[in-house]
Amino acid sequence: MRKSPHHRHHGIAPPATPFEPASEVSRRTMIAGTVATTAVAAVLPIAGSAQAAKADPDMVAFLLLSAALTGVHVATLAPEFGRDANDILNSDPGVDPINVKNQYFARAKASDAATFGKLLQVAKDHPLSATDILTAVNAGDDTKFLARSIVLLWYLGSWYNPDDLKTNSTPGTRNFIPSQVVSAKAYTQGLVWQIAQAHPMGYSNLQFGYWSREPRDPNDPTDRSNLGLITATIP
Amino acid sequence: MAANCIMCDVAIVGSGFAGALIANELSQKGIKVVILEAGPGIPPNINDYMRRFYKANAKVPESPFPPELVDSKDNLIDPANVAAGRPTVLSLLPDKWKKPTQSYLIQTGPKPFTSTYERLAGGTSHWLGTSLRLVPNDFRMKTRYGKNQSNFTLPDWPTAISSQMMSPYYARAEKELGVSADVKEQKFLDIDFSKDKDKDKDKDKDKDKDKDKDKDYTYPMPRIPPSLLDQRFGDALAQLTDEETKFLGMEKPVTEIKVRSLPAARNSQPYRNRRACAGNTNCIPICPIQAKYDPTITLNEATNSGARLIDHAVASEILVENNLVSGINYITYENEAGPKTGDGCVKAKIYVIAANAIETPRLLLMSKNHGQPAKGVANSSDMVGRNLMDHPYYVAWGLLPPTAKPVFPYRGPLITSGIGDLCDGPFRAKRAAFRVDIGNEGWNYVIAGGEFGVDPQVTTLDFVNGMNSGGLNTSEFSQLKNNSALLGAGLAQKLNDLISRQFRIGFLVEQDPDPNNRVTLSPTFSDALNLPRPQIAYDISDYTKQGIVAAFRMTNLMFSKLGAHNFTVRRKDDPTGFDVTIDGNPTPTQLNFGGAGHIMGTYRMGDNSKTSVVDSFQRTHDHNNLYLVGSGTFPTGGTANPTLTLSALAMRTADSIAGDLKSRG
Repeated sequence: MRKSPHHRHHGIAPPATPFEPASEVSRRTMIAGTVATTAVAAVLPIAGSAQAAKADPDMVAFLLLSAALTGVHVATLAPEFGRDANDILNSDPGVDPINVKNQYFARAKASDAATFGKLLQVAKDHPLSATDILTAVNAGDDTKFLARSIVLLWYLGSWYNPDDLKTNSTPGTRNFIPSQVVSAKAYTQGLVWQIAQAHPMGYSNLQFGYWSREPRDPNDPTDRSNLGLITATIP
Repeated sequence: MAANCIMCDVAIVGSGFAGALIANELSQKGIKVVILEAGPGIPPNINDYMRRFYKANAKVPESPFPPELVDSKDNLIDPANVAAGRPTVLSLLPDKWKKPTQSYLIQTGPKPFTSTYERLAGGTSHWLGTSLRLVPNDFRMKTRYGKNQSNFTLPDWPTAISSQMMSPYYARAEKELGVSADVKEQKFLDIDFSKDKDKDKDKDKDKDKDKDKDKDYTYPMPRIPPSLLDQRFGDALAQLTDEETKFLGMEKPVTEIKVRSLPAARNSQPYRNRRACAGNTNCIPICPIQAKYDPTITLNEATNSGARLIDHAVASEILVENNLVSGINYITYENEAGPKTGDGCVKAKIYVIAANAIETPRLLLMSKNHGQPAKGVANSSDMVGRNLMDHPYYVAWGLLPPTAKPVFPYRGPLITSGIGDLCDGPFRAKRAAFRVDIGNEGWNYVIAGGEFGVDPQVTTLDFVNGMNSGGLNTSEFSQLKNNSALLGAGLAQKLNDLISRQFRIGFLVEQDPDPNNRVTLSPTFSDALNLPRPQIAYDISDYTKQGIVAAFRMTNLMFSKLGAHNFTVRRKDDPTGFDVTIDGNPTPTQLNFGGAGHIMGTYRMGDNSKTSVVDSFQRTHDHNNLYLVGSGTFPTGGTANPTLTLSALAMRTADSIAGDLKSRG
């Protein structure tokens, strides 16, 4: 694969530091909350309904599945995810400051509970291997297209119907596929913008003049775009 | 007419840029102003607008603002059921523009008019913020370039209007809007930045010497810094040779052409209680932190000084007695869907219509006034509604090669720089000028000509589902097998690699006035208040098409210098499309254009009352106490975004109105 030398620095994050970005992401969210008060404070309800602190294996499985599908750290998907080193499936999914996971979990389950159950089982069967999860997910059409819908949820904050994805899956298809923005919060947390080292249009926590410099410019300590976001390992 | 009319000194219809500025200038002087606004008033904050924007499935320029665009099933709402409707991007798509059940504008073609506006307090706040002065020759097209051509369609502006005369009014507008720019960088093509020295002398003769010392103008704030892509374009431009750019007909060395920051009403530092731009990449539709000026800011100051804003009040008829306007009737409503809930009238000494270049002629033409005067209000010239212009917008998008440093789109204001030096030159005798915008939003709305949605959604969907709507999912560009469907880290890395090299540019092309490009009233279709909707006939001339051809050639040249692959396509069903033969090539080139949202020309100004509607003060030739303001008065549009010029002209009109009232005592 031909690769731009300029992309070298944001390759796959070393597996030894999967939890490093967690504190960063939490902080970024807090900064965003402060900076974009007009945009956010009244728009977004304060996240974190009273969720039980006790482990929810289904939610943990969903997060592990999502990390494998998106290639993004669990700690970015759910910033207060508390890893149980001995038993990953009994980890605490956390009441995190972003907390779109509950909306996504509910949306995917509502689409097709049986297939969603199969996907969770895949994650439970392979809780530590993204490769194994992806292989298992792609084994059947039902799981494959619901998995794609889940990726698009995390990347874009929008719901694409798995049936529409299947209908348009002939290689090279060019077509419009309708989608629905899940919530205001889901749009502002879309991962594709961070993956592009940018921010959702209309929702940024960066500061005046940052656009004149490259992301992660060492002279710009406020720009933390895409710091260690991408991973091929889970959790 | 309702029994008890509201009495005031000055009645203004419309609370957008021109209306708000005039209301504020006059209110500050203690003049009693009433403003009629067709849509809702100023909300206490913009949270509701932001929520609507974030939640919108189609984040089009109108998406944050009421009234609702679509119903609960995402179907467009029939404009017959909207009290104060407006054109929207969604209703102007190729399959919709000719359907009156979906499009507010009734379009008879042959080409679609694809620009939009808002109807609510503050007017069209979904503007970019670009605040350019016109160049001197923009005001003198006929004299400068058409003297010996009898069929040259671009007239001069009134004799009184020149770059130098406008300079102090531009300065006042720049102060009110809060413009960030560097004068040295903007001093090209002889744009005048001189101060109004005579005025200073009159004011304070003793300080005259000090004033002279301080004669160099500065913008209210320093310039907005350029994006990485701007810098890359600057590098590419520096490689051009005179031979390569001969087709432009500049007749000056290409080395004089530069990428320059665009003057923008966007704070580069805290200004008048608003913070500096944080680069949310969302000037259109809405700045989440109001670092970009919008007219609600001035409107609030006007109402704080006593101006009265009446919202949900649609002006329906201008009344004329003895050649003077004697009142304006309006209709009130409560719900977006109507119906009419009441009516009212306002009586003033002076009347100002500031309802944009489609709604203003609509109101003038609606004012039947028992057939007095015969051709309608202010229309003895028969020019009301004619000469509709825009800046037809040619866009092109490309991908930088993998060997190039990424340019990282979706960072910074939507547009930070442009190429303005190409907007004037001897070529204007033969073809339309253009101004180049360098976009910081990747392939956002341009991808695949907009046929399959917007980016980064389309590119993401392509690589998740093995599709190729946007054109990138082939081995040539992805370095993977064709139509790959990716998951996991491979997906994330591929999207990072491709999106960070995407860019687009746009060309604002001058459109010459054509009396057949026209706003009239639909004889058939009305809105929920039973008022006739605007009917539009529109086309572009060969003069303008040749400007688009030059833009196309400039695109190819710039892309080759950047080493970029051109992904520009014209969708099959694009009704703006036209084919041209370039350099005798047997295969015609497919070109097209979009709307820039710069609606101009429909009640143009001029010295001759037989060929124009208003004079240089924007006062109607026909009615001494009626002014028409906004870009509808522009005889020609140049290539500069019209907002700053219409704001400067509004300042001059405000002075004129204050003078009128003073002389009346």
